[in-house]
Amino acid sequence: MAIKIAVLVSGRGSNLEAILESIQKNELAAEVVAVLSNNPDSYALKIARKHNLPVVAVDHRGTSRKEHEKLVLQALKPFAPDYLVLAGYMRILSGDFLSHFKDGDGYFKVINIHPSLLPAFPGKSAYEDAFNYGVRISGITIHLVDEQVDHGPILAQAIFERQADDTLESFQARGLAVEHKLFPQVLKQIADAGLASLIDLENEVIEVSEVIDVKSTHGDLVEEAICVAVVPKNLAAAGEPIEMPLYWLNTKGAAGAATDLKLLATLKEVLADSLLEDVLCVATQDRQQWVKQWQELGFKWFAERQYLPGVTDNLARTVEEALKLSGLTTTVTVASGSAHLFNGDMNIKEVDTFCRYRHYHPVTDKFRIHDLRMPFPPVLLEFPAVHLPTTPEPEVIALDLSDSQMENLSRERTLALNLNEMHAIRKYFEQKEVVALRAQENLSPWPSDVELEVIAQTWSEHCKHKIFNAIIHDKMAHVKESTMTMSMAGTISGKPVQATERTITSLYKSYVQAATKELASKRSDLLSVFVDNAGVIKWNEDWGICFKVETHNSPSALEPYGGALTGILGVNRDILGTGLGAKPICNTDVFCFAYPASDLPNRPTMLPATSIIQGVRKGVQDGGNKSGIPTVNGAVYFNAGYRAKPLVFCGTGGILPLKVAGLCGYEKHTVDGDSIVMVGGRVGKDGIHGATFSSEALNVDSPMSAVQIGDPFTQKRVTDFILEARDAGLISGITDNGAGGLSSSVGEMAQITGGATLEVDSIPLKYPGLADYEIVISESQERMTLSSTKIEQLQELAAKHNVELTVVGTFNKSGFFRVTRSGKTVGLLDLEFLHNGAPRLELESHWQAPVTIDKIDQPPKDLGAALLNLLSHPNICSREPVIRQYDHEVQGGSVVKPLMGREQTAPCDAAVIQPILGDAAGLVVSNGLCPQLSDFDSHLMALCAVDEAVRNAVCVGADPSSLALLDNFCWPDPVASPTNTDGKRKLGQLVQACEGLYQAVLAYNAPLISGKDSMKNDFDDGAIRISIPPTLLISAIGKVPDIEQVVTMEFKASGDHIFLVSAGALGLAATTYAESMQWTSSILPELNLVGAAAAYQIIFAAMQKNLVQSCHDLSEGGLAVAVSECIIGSGLGADLNAEAIVTAAESGARFHDLLRERLDFALFGEGPARMLITVSPKNLAAWQSLWQANNSLGVSEISVIEIGKVTGFGVLKLLQSKKKNEIINLGVITLKQAWQATLPFEEDFHE
Amino acid sequence: MNNPRALVLSGDGINCASETAHGLELAGFSAVVSHSSDLLANPSELAGASLLALPGGFSFGDEIASGKVLAVKIRHKMLELLHQYIDKGGLVLGICNGFQTLVQLGLLPNSDKRDVPTVSLRHNASGKFINRWVEMSVNQNTPFLNSLQTISLPIRHGEGRIQMKPDASADEIAFVQNQTALTYNLDVNGSFERIAALTNAKGNVFGLMPHPEAFVRHSQHPAYQAYKHAAADRKAENTIVCFENKFADGLVILKNARFSLN
Repeated sequence: MAIKIAVLVSGRGSNLEAILESIQKNELAAEVVAVLSNNPDSYALKIARKHNLPVVAVDHRGTSRKEHEKLVLQALKPFAPDYLVLAGYMRILSGDFLSHFKDGDGYFKVINIHPSLLPAFPGKSAYEDAFNYGVRISGITIHLVDEQVDHGPILAQAIFERQADDTLESFQARGLAVEHKLFPQVLKQIADAGLASLIDLENEVIEVSEVIDVKSTHGDLVEEAICVAVVPKNLAAAGEPIEMPLYWLNTKGAAGAATDLKLLATLKEVLADSLLEDVLCVATQDRQQWVKQWQELGFKWFAERQYLPGVTDNLARTVEEALKLSGLTTTVTVASGSAHLFNGDMNIKEVDTFCRYRHYHPVTDKFRIHDLRMPFPPVLLEFPAVHLPTTPEPEVIALDLSDSQMENLSRERTLALNLNEMHAIRKYFEQKEVVALRAQENLSPWPSDVELEVIAQTWSEHCKHKIFNAIIHDKMAHVKESTMTMSMAGTISGKPVQATERTITSLYKSYVQAATKELASKRSDLLSVFVDNAGVIKWNEDWGICFKVETHNSPSALEPYGGALTGILGVNRDILGTGLGAKPICNTDVFCFAYPASDLPNRPTMLPATSIIQGVRKGVQDGGNKSGIPTVNGAVYFNAGYRAKPLVFCGTGGILPLKVAGLCGYEKHTVDGDSIVMVGGRVGKDGIHGATFSSEALNVDSPMSAVQIGDPFTQKRVTDFILEARDAGLISGITDNGAGGLSSSVGEMAQITGGATLEVDSIPLKYPGLADYEIVISESQERMTLSSTKIEQLQELAAKHNVELTVVGTFNKSGFFRVTRSGKTVGLLDLEFLHNGAPRLELESHWQAPVTIDKIDQPPKDLGAALLNLLSHPNICSREPVIRQYDHEVQGGSVVKPLMGREQTAPCDAAVIQPILGDAAGLVVSNGLCPQLSDFDSHLMALCAVDEAVRNAVCVGADPSSLALLDNFCWPDPVASPTNTDGKRKLGQLVQACEGLYQAVLAYNAPLISGKDSMKNDFDDGAIRISIPPTLLISAIGKVPDIEQVVTMEFKASGDHIFLVSAGALGLAATTYAESMQWTSSILPELNLVGAAAAYQIIFAAMQKNLVQSCHDLSEGGLAVAVSECIIGSGLGADLNAEAIVTAAESGARFHDLLRERLDFALFGEGPARMLITVSPKNLAAWQSLWQANNSLGVSEISVIEIGKVTGFGVLKLLQSKKKNEIINLGVITLKQAWQATLPFEEDFHE
Repeated sequence: MNNPRALVLSGDGINCASETAHGLELAGFSAVVSHSSDLLANPSELAGASLLALPGGFSFGDEIASGKVLAVKIRHKMLELLHQYIDKGGLVLGICNGFQTLVQLGLLPNSDKRDVPTVSLRHNASGKFINRWVEMSVNQNTPFLNSLQTISLPIRHGEGRIQMKPDASADEIAFVQNQTALTYNLDVNGSFERIAALTNAKGNVFGLMPHPEAFVRHSQHPAYQAYKHAAADRKAENTIVCFENKFADGLVILKNARFSLN
């Protein structure tokens, strides 16, 4: 329906004419219901009369403003306009008047056109003012009117350029032409899509809102620039939308570069596929030719993307190197981007919606959309140069502040320090000796920004794990048997105990480290635990294996691709920085996401759920594939609690020689006098405050400089260089630059010798203008810190690998971490204070078991349908679309891949690789994660996570006595505060989980060798708070003595006996089945640790005797899903016996009466320590006697029950033998279809 | 007896140098891993080699186009020497990224028409990177594929789709078909004529998207366990019989190269 507008004019009315013309041409669906003027002689009224429009003249002369407005309102009322359109109406409207035109969103439906780029040049003589000011670009603004003059939400802006020979008249004529085009177009947009479609564009980086930026880059650099587009040979026939590479080249003053034939030939060779593509190369100012060409080809929209200044541009760096390699002698600086052409019928908002997160990300990219139908040339993007005017001087930060000022200081500088810590810092600087020393060193009494920032990074939760080291006053209202006195023979029984209170001195020391210490006497293979960047275990006489898992949650929430990419590259560097340097040999990645659904919460600062998933997946793909490290194992887990903060666990295994040039390879040998050497990428503003920012909840002010993109190619070169340097004996110590940058890496290594001096002026920068503190704490990627004395040899090797290497200081034994610029000290901190001066947190925790009411209905009539439903559940369905995009075989060691079997569809429980090619031993990598249990019982959750990781490893043939574990806690903020009211409960859950972890580690004889925690996984924008479910990831590595004896999960042969081995009880609470039936239940599973540990030993023995054909763990979806997966993986079938299944289900120690005789529950219930094993008939006797022979190991706690047989036909049959009744009959194709239907997401297809 | 020398290019983002060298050693070569900078500084090294391997990986991060920048580096430093080496019958094996580099250099499918490309390797039709095992039919037009008929190897690439020159003549198309060494049994990436590998007319330059070095041990095959048990099943006795490493298709390709030198 056409909108009704009343046009208010004072003058000539050329805009009225343009609007009417547009209506006449049927372009604009609007009806001008009245034309009103305050000037009865206005030419506009004549125009209106000519068009037979109602005309109203309300002379303002001789009336007060109030009276005049009243008259105008009365005059307009009968016409009931939807909008007032001010087309050169020279009266200021009052709030009272405007309030009559208020819409539902609080906007006034009054639209004004103003001939300048507001907020520049408001007022009556905008053309004149702009012209006299000497602007090179001006424009037209259309905005909603508010109480202020020439003010209100901008609806659209268009620009025009002043030409060299412009007079005021010609300048104004140029502007009027734009006015006449823009005004009808904006009205059309309102008529077609509503006012909101335009208001939403406010503040977005599209069209012309960045004119200011263009002006500032009109410096001397860019004027010598050229622009290159790589276009398909037959653009007209290429279809649409078209995406083309776009480059901005800065040839540093090479005159006539755009027409230089040699340069053009080189660009063609380097940038284009000569079969299929052409290169367009013009001086930047001549790009309008392209626009004309594309206009003529009928394209309606042209959009261009480039990186924001300072964002890592890997493509551009490679182009620069390629140009050099091709023999080009001119120095060329490159920025890369892309051009997009559309000819669809879209408005600007639709173009933007289509491109956002697909073609650009607002955090890292600049994106501008041009309407090719506009009569004036669009203002195109220029070279994205970083302009940091001057290098800021170090600042002194006085700490004689009130408590609230201290807190403000911490917040404003993103220090993430609490008041106690601020006090401790103040106290340090007030100490007499410190004051004297600083006076002697010519330093200010209060800390410089360099010093304060270094302390903040070092003391961050991220680096110091303050919560895990806190003193905790714990209160429990209902607890399991005390784990502190738990013996190996005990089982967990869930006995209610009186409320107790106790004090835990440190979760880390009491549980995590304590468990490993207790196992140390039994495990001679623990070479380096909890001290280095990764834990190291002995592999054989010559080699050690190291393993580490990190998280990169906060960065992945802001910019998923860069966040995940830097996550995986970061943990690779942890491995590279272990001992004297280890080689990364495998990656494992676990993602926790919210499954995209319409009822998920959405807030303006949250990315779309699908974009997070796509970005993270792609980031890990590039991180792993491009680095040549196989992604062998992983998991994807969905829960709505991860909507705002996804969890991105990135893990890497590595191998290192036990002896390096006569030195112990898994230790560092840095000594006094060694140089500090920085290798790899340069330092920029990217990644400043990463460590402290990850230690806070995400909010609207989260610093965007914390976002960065990784460069796997540079890191691969660094890796090659380091491994060669290590073997040549050139490195005495090494660590990575991760959180906290140099402040952390040098600060940590300084502890070995007892001091270090960092020369900040020697550190290579990406661009000038960084403050000293920024250089010291920047987390710019792909950098390693080494100690060495053999600098010349290192330099030579670095040149070969094309890696930048710089000496940036010296390690010494001064006792201080000193930062200097040009020989002058700008920071001096006592190492002891820096590393041990942070006051310990003192926290309270309170855990109380939740009360859940059981609400369970009758079983569904069709159990087959229920099974298919579960198979397509996001947490159960096939991960193939993700797996296929990760290289899981590079390096040649692949034994058990994520998907095995004849059809490559068998989802394996764990990965096996051969770390040393040709050597028989296999390395097993697995993981366990059960956050669904956390809110019921986080103690049980931890037990189950350990069990799952251990069990998965055992399933493929790992020796249970070889296992080593990592713990990664990702928790919602467990520190109570006014915004985090249930912090005590979350800390209580953490205490419970640590106890469970401790207990399971001891029971399974599987020590923790390293770990990490991320404790602030909350989103809070003031309107809503979303906290993740408490999550503990356990990652396991272990050994298969001979890869010939690995076992995969798919069924192997018809006639094989199917056994269910279990040591514990099934549960219904938190199961996928209960969730899909919308039941609630309090019935939790139970784990019999003694039985499970014994069962895993026996199963391993059976595998060593080749008695096991296949072995699969039971997890989400229970038995029926596990059997289905074994069928899908093999193409074989199974006949299952319903009675045997119920017997097996009810064999658990404390089976719940509510669930007796429930076949559905036996099929779909979930519990730990359950495995499906097939045994060939010829081995049956040996298999059975093995269990009897191991009676002493606790076999009485284990149930081993035959539940059916493998069949040759690809059919799953569930039979009730007494009734001869077929309860389920599903073919492998039906099962597979259900299992493979859910992923990928729709958006995957647009990639 | 001295084994013939195989030069395996490394560095600049090449990822598969170690396992390629391992496979070549198993096949009877003496493999030397050489950083591209070292080889370009000492191009005469090439003259002493019997085989030059360009392994898989992401040279120069696959930026611009895969194999593009490595080709630029080689073209401007040692293309002439490489031509001489090929003309003398030296073996060149380009795997995945190495294959892409050979195509970028204009050495495949026609190593005689210096640097005039007729095909291009572009993004997979799905737009996605793919890692899976594929079956291929063999056209025995290169010594690398002697005696083979159907083989299984893994592909691990994002840009493996052969695209023909848009205005190709019938002769040019026939030539490319003739030089096709491996054909995917299923259409995995949208490649022209399902081409997986190309060779030059003489057969001494061989480039393939799948990875032969990733199948030199029987247990690298995803169906190894399934076949192993099926084989055991067929045998009455209680022993496990399985296919032997020496029949692993990738190793056979590398051994063929070795035997062709006798």
